[in-house]
Amino acid sequence: MLTAILILWPMAAAIICFCLGRRSEKARDILADIATIAECALMIALLARSLQGGSDLYLGLPGLCGMGLNLTLDGFRCVYGTVASLMWATTSVFSRQYFTYYANRNRYYLFNLLTLGATMGVFLAADLFTAFVFFEIMSFTSFVWVAHDETGSAMKAACTYLAVAIIGGLITLMGLFMLYNMIGTLTLSEIPVRIEEIRQVWPRPFVTVYGGIVTPTRLYLTGGLVACGFAAKAGVWPLHIWLPKAHPVAPAPASALLSGILTKSGIFGILAVTCNMFAGDAAWGRAIMWLGVITMFTGALLALFSINLKRTLACSSMSQIGFIMTGIGAYALSQPGSESAVLAARGTVLYMVNHSLIKLVLFMIAGVVYMNIHKLELADIRGYGRRKPLLAVCFAIGALSISGIPGSSGYIAKTLLHEAIVESGAGRVIEWLFLVCGGMTLCYMLKLFITVFAEKNHDDELQKQYYGQKDYWNAESRIAVTVPAVILAVMGLFPYLIMNRTAYMSSPFLGITRDAMGECVVVYYAVHNLTGSFISIAIGLVLFFLIFRRLDRNVWPEWLDLEDRIYRPLILKILPGILGFVSAITGQITDEAIILLRRTTHRQISTRVPTGSMDDHLAVEAGMILDHILPHRDGSSHIPVLVEKEERAARTQRVIYGSLSFGLILVCIGLILVLIYTLASA
Amino acid sequence: MMNNNMLLLIPILLPIICGLAAGLFGKLRVRARYKGMAIVAMLAVEAIASILCLRIGMSLVVGSINEAIRIVFRVDALSRMFGALVVFVWFLTGIYACEYLKKDKHFDSFFAFYLMTEGMIMALAEAGNMITFYMFFEMMTMLSFPMVMHDRTHEAIRAGLKYMFYSVAGALMSLFAIFMLTPYGYLGDFKAGGILDIEALTGHEQVLLISALMMIVGLGTKAGMFPMHAWLPTAHPEAPAPASAVLSGVITKTGVIGIIRGVYYCIGSRLLAGTWVQHTWLVLSLITVLMGSMLAYREPVLKKRLAYSTVSQVSYMMFGLAIMNSVAFTGAVSHIVFHSLIKTTLFLVAGAVIHQTGHTRVEELRAIGKEMPVTMCSYTIVSLGLIGIPPLSGFVSKWYLASGALMSGTSPYSWLGPVILLISALLTAGYLLPVTVRGFFPGVNYGVGTPNRAEPDVIMYVPMIVMSVMTLILGIYPGLITTTIQNIAAGIF
Repeated sequence: MLTAILILWPMAAAIICFCLGRRSEKARDILADIATIAECALMIALLARSLQGGSDLYLGLPGLCGMGLNLTLDGFRCVYGTVASLMWATTSVFSRQYFTYYANRNRYYLFNLLTLGATMGVFLAADLFTAFVFFEIMSFTSFVWVAHDETGSAMKAACTYLAVAIIGGLITLMGLFMLYNMIGTLTLSEIPVRIEEIRQVWPRPFVTVYGGIVTPTRLYLTGGLVACGFAAKAGVWPLHIWLPKAHPVAPAPASALLSGILTKSGIFGILAVTCNMFAGDAAWGRAIMWLGVITMFTGALLALFSINLKRTLACSSMSQIGFIMTGIGAYALSQPGSESAVLAARGTVLYMVNHSLIKLVLFMIAGVVYMNIHKLELADIRGYGRRKPLLAVCFAIGALSISGIPGSSGYIAKTLLHEAIVESGAGRVIEWLFLVCGGMTLCYMLKLFITVFAEKNHDDELQKQYYGQKDYWNAESRIAVTVPAVILAVMGLFPYLIMNRTAYMSSPFLGITRDAMGECVVVYYAVHNLTGSFISIAIGLVLFFLIFRRLDRNVWPEWLDLEDRIYRPLILKILPGILGFVSAITGQITDEAIILLRRTTHRQISTRVPTGSMDDHLAVEAGMILDHILPHRDGSSHIPVLVEKEERAARTQRVIYGSLSFGLILVCIGLILVLIYTLASA
Repeated sequence: MMNNNMLLLIPILLPIICGLAAGLFGKLRVRARYKGMAIVAMLAVEAIASILCLRIGMSLVVGSINEAIRIVFRVDALSRMFGALVVFVWFLTGIYACEYLKKDKHFDSFFAFYLMTEGMIMALAEAGNMITFYMFFEMMTMLSFPMVMHDRTHEAIRAGLKYMFYSVAGALMSLFAIFMLTPYGYLGDFKAGGILDIEALTGHEQVLLISALMMIVGLGTKAGMFPMHAWLPTAHPEAPAPASAVLSGVITKTGVIGIIRGVYYCIGSRLLAGTWVQHTWLVLSLITVLMGSMLAYREPVLKKRLAYSTVSQVSYMMFGLAIMNSVAFTGAVSHIVFHSLIKTTLFLVAGAVIHQTGHTRVEELRAIGKEMPVTMCSYTIVSLGLIGIPPLSGFVSKWYLASGALMSGTSPYSWLGPVILLISALLTAGYLLPVTVRGFFPGVNYGVGTPNRAEPDVIMYVPMIVMSVMTLILGIYPGLITTTIQNIAAGIF
């Protein structure tokens, strides 16, 4: 029952907030804060219960939405539910100040809380069907975040977001149809067994209950389709197109959530598919791994060239998702239950949690900058952060952690992933790409930090103005930014206490027993682990000081845009063009055939009769007689009226004759057909 | 068995009498308000009477022209469900129409035909054999024809004639099946699973198959199935909104009901499964699904866009029926109910927009969400339902249709069907959602200050809200109707 409350409470609060907000905005803001903080408190209580060894909660609601909704709350879901609700609580506390000068606040609050409910639903889902249901709700409600500003670029980004979400959702749905058809269940805990049955039969064909045959191709196709929609939401290349555009245009609290938690819900889906269907499947692992590497590299490259604070952070999100994907890839590559699988699972979970919190802090700081000076271009905000120590410290914690500097929580997660990649045998190329991308992360974070917090603005007046801003955030916002930063710092300082425990709790969801997770002890600050990190740092410093130190123009070629080059023309022009042409023809074909018939074989007799013809003599005679007998008072003649009437009668007569003969022809054809039929069948 | 139960005549005769009364006494100088109240009262009585009178198992033999042609009414679960749907939609649309047509000079004639058509549809829902069904099917066409040409403009009359032409041509095709199959017992009382005399049929399989195809294509005319779909996009934009709403929401479904009766209650799906008729039917329905969506996507006039959407959506049901297994059947029949509620609402919204702002084209609807928030909210909900976004109702039927298709094993349709359904869902999103997006997010520089409110009268938006809430409820608890349908399907397969 508690699980249902976790979903329904924010949704109910959303509606109450909306109604309340029409009367009093202040009351609404307070209620929204209370709602999210209560949600967070409940989640923390459940997390504590789970830490104490409490059993998993389960709620089955058969028949809902057709297939029944099933919710469960195990260790991993407790962890991620807590992260999600924490993020919502902090952002909604932060929102009050941020949204002071925004329009349509009520709409934002409504959809913000609805999205919280839906997101909780995704993370609590015990089967893929439930996950899909909430995933779709989440996609649609979060659309409002992206579109909130209603500027041209916001609307374009929002439409891209919506299109990617819908297309991804439909592809996933197709995958779910096929999966359900193949194994007869979508419950996560039952999938591994069924898939194992199928794999055992290979290479002989496995025949499903419905008579279909499951070949390896079909299994991979199904898995790929299911993962597709989730990957689109996560921002995996080549479906990342919405991400670098949507995050910068959304309001900062929404960007934090989009980047911190919505992308993770996509990762959640990919994890669910990988861990339950493809654990230990090398081909799948390699595919995920390469997708991850490409995403990681592309994202980092875009971030390096970005000259906008939020865009850099958004591209960085994409890159970090790539890191997580490589972790999942390493997991699938290694034998189930082996040490590298444990390492990969632990690394992936920690990286996810870590990245959520980091992006929460960083995007809210970007929000602080934006709400004070309404600018985000690096050249404009240069020097804004000078003499603002708390802001700088919070940013630094996030930046250090995301770059994986030893001593931070990011270091732990990155080390685990590095270890897992090496152990799973992914190869030297991937390992080096991983390290290079780590270096690139450091490089762009350094660029951001130095620009915003160290350098002075070229415009001295502006710099003075920046110095003058003392009350740039109120107490609420300060708390909202500081709390997650402190959590991050604590996580980094006590890795064994917090991070290991998080991984321990999450292990069953990832198909790793808790014992295996507990037994696997990693010395995080061993020499070979530190070496990897130092290589990354060295690469980052070299890149920064040699190349990107002086980059403040946009040198990234605008035309190099997958969306504008390929997707938009393909989906908006080429496909509808072809399909539309064909459809237009098929749509018209019946009408055209009828018109053709009417013009040729079934030509209707012309109803136009030339006026004043000889046929009118009867009317003329009658009119003359009538004019004599009953003359009109005004002296006009009966003749024109009568002529008209006669013509109309003649016309009707012709139509009737025409129709009659036409009917007769049809009857004859019918008779002939019947005759032929009787003769043929006799 | 309750035989010869005269109660069955009430749902049929009541609206006919009321309709005649409306037509005859309409010229009395009574204020439109009172007339409207009287009509709503009639519709309410009819709705309650129908739900009370239609009990499963009741039957009534009205008479027989000769021993083969008997007019029989009989109520089974399908008639009851369809009947309930019809009176529900008719009632809500009727309320809306009272306000919509308040200032229309043909107010009385519209309601006369509106009510009489309802009686005919109830009769064909209750019909106990094919010839009864056919009779009332034709009468329904005749009586709904004046609703299409309500405006009496040149275009409206042409559209009405086109509707008439297509419908009659379709009905004649189904009459062909009646002629050809009567010797094999086609006109007997409907029975789940088929009534044809298998022994007599041996050796005449091709007759059966050709007649079956003629019947499917013929009745498919009403359901807007390719190649006889062309009347829909012409008739809908010309008819007044309430007429388009019931035309699209209910009257197209009568064709589907006819095909269910013909295929599953007369011929029997066993005789058709795996034949070329099934394949042709599948191909035609899939072509229609894709074509309808694509044409809707390209169509700038909102009502015409919705008409093309109907073409596409009704063929979802056709596809489900053509698959011929119980899961797809469940999907198809539940889609009848879901689509009926959704499409009626969409047409009512389109009508409300025309009524309040005069806009007919989609590109004129910028900021419409600010002007008519309640109306556009229900538009958004039902649009998402039509696309098939959970937890709304369209998702449930799509799920059943696709999983039924996949398990049927009639390759390649088993996988091609779901793929086309999903492409069509994408196109549905493409033609419905821009209205919402541009309506609620007109852009920063749009009309600073308060937007001018153009919300229609309460009487007009309450029916829309009721139906969009139904879409949500049926999406969350589809068991309310799917259990009934699964029982029906269990009898057939």
